[in-house]
Amino acid sequence: MGFLTPAFLIGLAALAVPVLIHLIHRERREVVAFPSLMFLRRIPYKSVRRQKLRNLLLFLLRCAALILLVAAFARPLFERGGARAAGAGARGREVVILVDRSYSMGYGTRWQRALDAARRAVDNVLPDDRATVVFFADAASAANRATADRAALRATVDAGTVGSGVTRYAPALKLASGILDASELPRREVVLITDFQRVGWDGHDAVRLPRGTTVTPVSVGEEGATSNISATSMDLHRDYPAGREHVTATVRLTNKGAAPVSGLPVAIEVNGRTLQTKPVTLAANSSATVAFAPFPLGDGLSRGTVHAGQDVLPHDNLFHFTLTRGQALAVLIVEPADAAATRSLYLTRALALGDRPPMRAQVKKAGQLRAADLAGQALVILNDAGLPGGDTGERLAAFVRGGGGLLVALGDRSSAASWESGRAALLPGPVGSPVDRSANWGGTLGLIDRSHPVFELFRAPRSGDFSAARFFRYRPVTLGPGDAVLARYDDGGPALIERRVGAGKVLIWTSTLDAFWNDLALQPVFLPFVHQLAKYTAGYAEDAPWFTVGQAVDVSGTMATTATASAPDSSAVGARAAPPAAAPGAPGAAPAARAPSSEEWNAVAPSGERTRLGGRSAARTLVLAEQGFYELRRSDEDGHPSRVVAVNLDLAESDLSTMDPQELIGAVTARADSATAAGPDAELTVEERERRQAIWWYLLAAALLLLAAETAFSNRLSGVRRA
Amino acid sequence: MTAAAQPVVPQFLDPTVLAKIGNLELIARVVVEGFLNGLHRSPHLGMSMDFAEHRAYMPGDDIRRIDWKLFGRTDRHYLKEFEADTNANFSVLLDISRSMGYGSRGLTKLDYARYLAACLLYFSHKQRDRIGFATFDDDIVDFVPPSAKHLPVALHTIERLGTRHSALGAAGESGAATRSAARQPSAESPVPSPDGAKPRVFERALAKFADSVRRRSILVLISDLYDEPRSILDAISHLRGKGNDIIVMHLLDPAELDFPFDEAASFEDLESAERLSVIPEYLRDEYRAMVAEHVATLGKLLGENRIDYTLFNTSEPLDRALFSYLSNRQRLSRVR
Repeated sequence: MGFLTPAFLIGLAALAVPVLIHLIHRERREVVAFPSLMFLRRIPYKSVRRQKLRNLLLFLLRCAALILLVAAFARPLFERGGARAAGAGARGREVVILVDRSYSMGYGTRWQRALDAARRAVDNVLPDDRATVVFFADAASAANRATADRAALRATVDAGTVGSGVTRYAPALKLASGILDASELPRREVVLITDFQRVGWDGHDAVRLPRGTTVTPVSVGEEGATSNISATSMDLHRDYPAGREHVTATVRLTNKGAAPVSGLPVAIEVNGRTLQTKPVTLAANSSATVAFAPFPLGDGLSRGTVHAGQDVLPHDNLFHFTLTRGQALAVLIVEPADAAATRSLYLTRALALGDRPPMRAQVKKAGQLRAADLAGQALVILNDAGLPGGDTGERLAAFVRGGGGLLVALGDRSSAASWESGRAALLPGPVGSPVDRSANWGGTLGLIDRSHPVFELFRAPRSGDFSAARFFRYRPVTLGPGDAVLARYDDGGPALIERRVGAGKVLIWTSTLDAFWNDLALQPVFLPFVHQLAKYTAGYAEDAPWFTVGQAVDVSGTMATTATASAPDSSAVGARAAPPAAAPGAPGAAPAARAPSSEEWNAVAPSGERTRLGGRSAARTLVLAEQGFYELRRSDEDGHPSRVVAVNLDLAESDLSTMDPQELIGAVTARADSATAAGPDAELTVEERERRQAIWWYLLAAALLLLAAETAFSNRLSGVRRA
Repeated sequence: MTAAAQPVVPQFLDPTVLAKIGNLELIARVVVEGFLNGLHRSPHLGMSMDFAEHRAYMPGDDIRRIDWKLFGRTDRHYLKEFEADTNANFSVLLDISRSMGYGSRGLTKLDYARYLAACLLYFSHKQRDRIGFATFDDDIVDFVPPSAKHLPVALHTIERLGTRHSALGAAGESGAATRSAARQPSAESPVPSPDGAKPRVFERALAKFADSVRRRSILVLISDLYDEPRSILDAISHLRGKGNDIIVMHLLDPAELDFPFDEAASFEDLESAERLSVIPEYLRDEYRAMVAEHVATLGKLLGENRIDYTLFNTSEPLDRALFSYLSNRQRLSRVR
């Protein structure tokens, strides 16, 4: 037996009223003058006893009616799910306090109001309850174990800070659902304290809170229009005037407010020094681009930040980036010994035009190739040249296995005999005789794997037309196990084959890279194709100037490269070829197969929090959770970090438009499986059980009957007395 | 004043209406003459005649009282005796103790007693009796000796009682607030008895009064008789022992008879100022029974001692009470 509103039981104190009435009635002190008390004195006090006996029934009737009335208002119910409630008290609640700590909560006084609301929720926690504080942004984590200790809960709330993440309601609600599902307490409640940004809920998240959960929304968003200026993106363009690398920075700003902004000071700061400041005017709900004058790039790593003024949400007015002076990609082109001077003309010209990164091509005749020529190279292109034999061939194989790239273009001289010596190690299979398709005006590329990094650049429509190129000859290659065909001719013959050898890659282009066997060199796609081919084969990955909060960075490359670079005998091999890091899935992501260092590394977050990587810890991935610069350094190093990662906010959070809290609540509390709605009482909420049982109705009817009986009885008594 | 010249007077006069008439003599006249007129129309003709009986002439009797008409018819000498001796003393003894100041309907028992006394005195004066008047509480307070000329004095004394006790009458209605205006008991007042009865005040006052009565008189005692019946009888015995004809008029307010109170309250004794918490609805029946028993005991004891006893309810009309009393008196006289 329980009560839905036990506070009404205080009304039982009203039972004292009829008692007091009887006492006052008896003890009234009104003075009546009477001639003589001679007779009254003779009457013994037995009349008092008679009074008690005669009024007892009336008194009991009144008390019973009052008790029934109070009980009816207290809304009693029978606890049939006693087993569920037996664990921790039938009246306890499992409360989950969800506090949004996304960076939009830094807008104005939202965070302070959110903390105040959380403290109020903590104050409502009763000894029978258990509460968990969950801070959430794009991820959610419980800040404490479920407890009824208000002091501990308050301390947890007080320790909360605004983060750099974006609002995502689904993870938080899933966590809350898990906590509530595991709870044995009969009542469940979620207090959702947030600014209810619309970007946090896409309507497709399949989150359902347990049946009967009460969701209490606490909106800390401002009423009316909000204003916010944010730096949304940035472009860093490198130039090499007079052989010196210059960077032109262009930043894009957005004004998401209803009021225009003029004279907004936008400054760019590099390595702690403000280089330029420009006033910017932004119309309402519009964006603008600010281009800064080129600035020379110094040696080493440069950290930069763009400051776009100050507003009520200052987090997204900053844009961080890192810059490193670019290094040329060293390419060694090996020609047949008797090749004409223009044999590699198209190839060298195409490589020379590259600026991201710049490529430095060196042409060598096959007979002049020495093992030492491989030092410092990132890519070796065998342009219709056979595989070198002897020590040079072995060094080349070792170069490839160590992570170097080998691009083989087959042609007239690339006979099967010329590949016999090292074919088994580097080539997929025997190279056949040329296939001549000139009779039909040549063939075309029929199948291209545009998901491959080499062709991904041409994936979008009208971003590269390979179909215009005519292929008159090519050499068929027998594929080995594990070889991948990246492109095929329209007759099915492989055009581009990839083979992994150790840490390096070997790509075989079965036609020439000039205008002899095909006219690809005359097509517009030739230049980007060669660049992509060279960068991919060499394993080049451009350092991302910034990342976004929430991304995970694979730092194994940095750890391996630094370890390798520190080795005295490995400086000649691929110092630049091994990329420091790349975001997963990014173009040119470095393979994680490089030998990781066994040393311990520390990643220092902008807030100073340290994350241990490497060593005994298997962690090689750094999750970026804060806005600013992460530094990656070895544990035993105190100097300059080995790598710095700039992290910017996810600007989806800058959209401060809000949603109706009821929309979210309806989505997470609605039950599609209405067939289970008529389940046993134990699955119902207390309110539903009370509503179904409706005991209060019977109590109220009984109370009214008793009151009617009391009225009739007292009237009868009064009549008797008057008579 | 002839009957034709009399104003229209109701047969039964409401005491509260009479109370509005300031002149006590006028009240008495209205009541008595209206009462006498009513007698003429009543079936009890002859009650106003003085004749009582004949008795044989004895030597020494006044021959002027021989009924000569009867001698003519019987040839024997009979004396004609009359019931009332027109020269008799008629005194009214009025209890003016504080309990008499009680009145639940605007008219106190004392007022009622004053009107009653005035009427009786006026009535007796009309019969040429010598009238006297005395008041007492625990002692004789006022005393007007019997005389044929003392009606104005007696009425004036009665009139002054009204003024003296007007405050007491109010106290009877509104409680102890005005009790201080009432006459305070003298220093030698006896201590009230534990049961609330008057501590034998009758015996002392009536004994004192009896000493002043030198001739056989008709004595009318008007009181609420809050004392033990035996004590009352003992007190009256002092008067009775001298051959006086005693008439006891017991006055009680309707509230004293019926005890109609509803609310529990603290009841204050007008005599002793004592208070008693009372829940009337649970005491009423026993109270009524005790009052009835008290009245019955008084009637029985006094009757056995040849003392007329009549209970007067102050809510009853004055002339009806008077009529009722005189009828009984007449009946008893015949028996006597």
